[in-house]
Amino acid sequence: MTIDLGFWTLQTLNALQLSMLLFLLSVGLTVIFGLMHFVNLAHGALYALGAYFAASLAAVGGYWMGFFLAPVAVAGVGVLLYTGLIQRMRKSGPMAQVLVTFGLIFALLDLTRIFWGDLALAIEVPGILSGRLAFLGVEYPTYRLFIIVLGTAILAALSLVLSRTQIGAMIRAGVDNDAMAACLGINVERLFFIVFCVGCALAGLAGAVAAPLLSVTPEMGLQILIPTLIVIVIGGLGSLKGAIAGSLIYGFVQTFGAVLAPQLASVLIYALLAAVLVIKPVGLFPAKG
Amino acid sequence: MLETRNLDKSFGAVHVTRDVSLKLERGERRVILGPNGAGKTTLFNQLVGELASDKGSVHLAGEDVTALAVAKRARRGLSRSYQKNTLFDGLTVEENLGLAASIHTGHATTLWSDSLAKPEVREIVQDVANQVNLMPFLHANVSEISYGVRRQLEVGVALATRPLVLLMDEPTSGVGPEMAKGFHDLLNNLPRDLTLLIIEHDMDLAFDVADTITVLNYGEVVFDGLPQEARGSSLLKEIYLGSWEDA
Amino acid sequence: MFRHTPLRYATLVLLASVALFRVFTAEYFGLEILTEIFILAVLVLALDMVAGFGGMVSLCHGALMGVGAYAYVMLSTIAGIAPPVAMAGAIAVTGVAAWVIGAICARSHGIYFIMATLAFGQMAYSYVFEAPIFGGDDGLGGISRLDLSFVGIDLNDSRSFAFFCLAILAAVYGTAVLILRSGLGRSLSGVMHNEQRMRALGLTVWRVKADVFGLSGMIAGLAGVLAAQHIMYISPGLLSWTVSGEALVVVILGGVGTLIGPLVGAVAFVMLKHELSAVTTYWHLVVGCILIAVVMSRANGIFGWLEDRWGARIDRRAADATRNQKTEEVASDA
Repeated sequence: MTIDLGFWTLQTLNALQLSMLLFLLSVGLTVIFGLMHFVNLAHGALYALGAYFAASLAAVGGYWMGFFLAPVAVAGVGVLLYTGLIQRMRKSGPMAQVLVTFGLIFALLDLTRIFWGDLALAIEVPGILSGRLAFLGVEYPTYRLFIIVLGTAILAALSLVLSRTQIGAMIRAGVDNDAMAACLGINVERLFFIVFCVGCALAGLAGAVAAPLLSVTPEMGLQILIPTLIVIVIGGLGSLKGAIAGSLIYGFVQTFGAVLAPQLASVLIYALLAAVLVIKPVGLFPAKG
Repeated sequence: MLETRNLDKSFGAVHVTRDVSLKLERGERRVILGPNGAGKTTLFNQLVGELASDKGSVHLAGEDVTALAVAKRARRGLSRSYQKNTLFDGLTVEENLGLAASIHTGHATTLWSDSLAKPEVREIVQDVANQVNLMPFLHANVSEISYGVRRQLEVGVALATRPLVLLMDEPTSGVGPEMAKGFHDLLNNLPRDLTLLIIEHDMDLAFDVADTITVLNYGEVVFDGLPQEARGSSLLKEIYLGSWEDA
Repeated sequence: MFRHTPLRYATLVLLASVALFRVFTAEYFGLEILTEIFILAVLVLALDMVAGFGGMVSLCHGALMGVGAYAYVMLSTIAGIAPPVAMAGAIAVTGVAAWVIGAICARSHGIYFIMATLAFGQMAYSYVFEAPIFGGDDGLGGISRLDLSFVGIDLNDSRSFAFFCLAILAAVYGTAVLILRSGLGRSLSGVMHNEQRMRALGLTVWRVKADVFGLSGMIAGLAGVLAAQHIMYISPGLLSWTVSGEALVVVILGGVGTLIGPLVGAVAFVMLKHELSAVTTYWHLVVGCILIAVVMSRANGIFGWLEDRWGARIDRRAADATRNQKTEEVASDA
């Protein structure tokens, strides 16, 4: 097999694209965990909802309507979930949280089937993003480049918000010690609510941008959940840095594994996760030392 | 029996224990005095291995145990009680003692019999219950007994591993003076060959049981000697009065 | 620490009698459901041992069951080993796999433990899914059941097979009780109540966790062997993490840390699934809502709720009865 520079560029772009999609999903989940110590297994289901909302909205008003409104709609679902369930489950142990959100997966899975049916839906890539771009000596689908750019932009925006703004400082204080943050006069409850909704919106956005790449099915939430969890466990729960590192590690190991060692590819990432858990049980960049 | 050489521990810029060297003979009862934050509990954690020391070594019955994990040190005869009750909530007093005794007798990992029903385990449970006055409460659930009785059980659980050296972190913490006195009588009645290292806050009570006294201040040993010497020491008064004024 | 209370004995006797009665009277479809309940019950007993008595909330027990099923099929159908030996082999293989997982995850707690076990389960799933030797997505068929014809029992008959599974379930329950009452089981409760103290008392905590996880894995493997023999066909879906999740749901639905609760949960779950799927294809929605309601109600599942409500009263009555008996004895002595 001849491996040239173009091959590496192409695979790197593929890896980056997968990483960015996972980053959009995992960052919400991980910051929610870091702040509220809440594990939301239904995060994947919210991603699937995002894809469905995007598909329905795109059918009415085109791709961009879905792109912009699906995250809002999913954030709306997040508001309902937060006030109805999450708020009450915050003080419960991890097992109760895992189970409630597992129940949510069941329920949301069937709800999507009731509203949208079992058949896969498809979304058209908008004209401006369709086709391919010549890029570093390779031709790469414009839409996938768009995902990489979008993920990077969101990453930059989030790190800016976290490091430079007042609400970012409040979130960092809350992750560090929520009781102390409350004592300092931070409205922790409101902070949780905002972060949860933003996390949901990002999951919805991930679903909306993933929809044209994959077919939209009720199971897509279940399929993405495990990679997302692996990302945040490898990266370390609760930190932005961890979400980035975990996403990149997953994206590259998965992409290059599939090309270079197809027999081992599927097991490789789990073996890596096991190794991380043995050596650093709290992940590579945990929010707290 | 228990010896430390130049133990050191820092947390970041805070130097908690400095160059602590102690030597306890077999059967010796030593009380560690010192104001809050003097590094007493940190020293205990270093002794049993719950905290790794930055420098120095710990020797138990002539063996260097510095590199050994908590459980291994415990199996070699080093046991401790905690300042804050660290019991098996939800279980009975008997089961609390039995769990500890079964580890000592080697029944804690057997699959073929009930460790708590073993005669050796039952014997230790009875013995320890007598030693720390728990006989009337054997079948009570930990959640049903009073705080004072729980303090007794805290020491009892540590005793049920039949240690060579028992470290007690403020055994009378939080109990009234009347009960604390009773507690010290109880400690005085423990077998004489058991080596005791006790953290105590109250000087007068400390003199009830101590053969020797060590005073820690800012992580350093500032006094090491007999109780009568300690009693007259102006240094001790200063440290304690100083700490009172701070508080 | 596991204790049999009068309410638990009563529930056990009731469950056993109904099960026996149904095994003798049910028709084909009923027997299939009964067998499904018994096999699920074996799996959730294994899970309750580690989750309810060791605080090790595992999300890989479904995968362990799958490992048992695949090991049995590989040994018996592919390697041609006699079914009884293949059964023992499959149980041993699953036990070893579980022991290794338990040993590696012993240092993780809470959500990290859940995630770590989930990862190992998924690892097994993707391996089985990808490796051609396991038949991939198509799965493997042509599985033979245990041959008990030398004692005059034909396990290819649904009634005999249901009875066989019930007998194994009873044996597994007894074994689980014995394990929980052994030195190892006692130490495990100690670890669940206070891991730090057990370590300070000299216990090698990770070994205890790994050992019990291994034993639990053997039971899960046995459940897998039974499942393979029951359906006579296996596919990677057996190892899917949702199976582990469902097992956890059953344990919670019934009452974690009671052993009997999960049995009740298994009955409730399978019945609910069949009743609901007869009415609607969206039975997951109903189960999901019930699960959310149970967890939010803060009761420890169906059986836990029963124990809170009635158990105290029954136990008190039983205590009164023995006391009265003793007083009477004393009175008659005088």
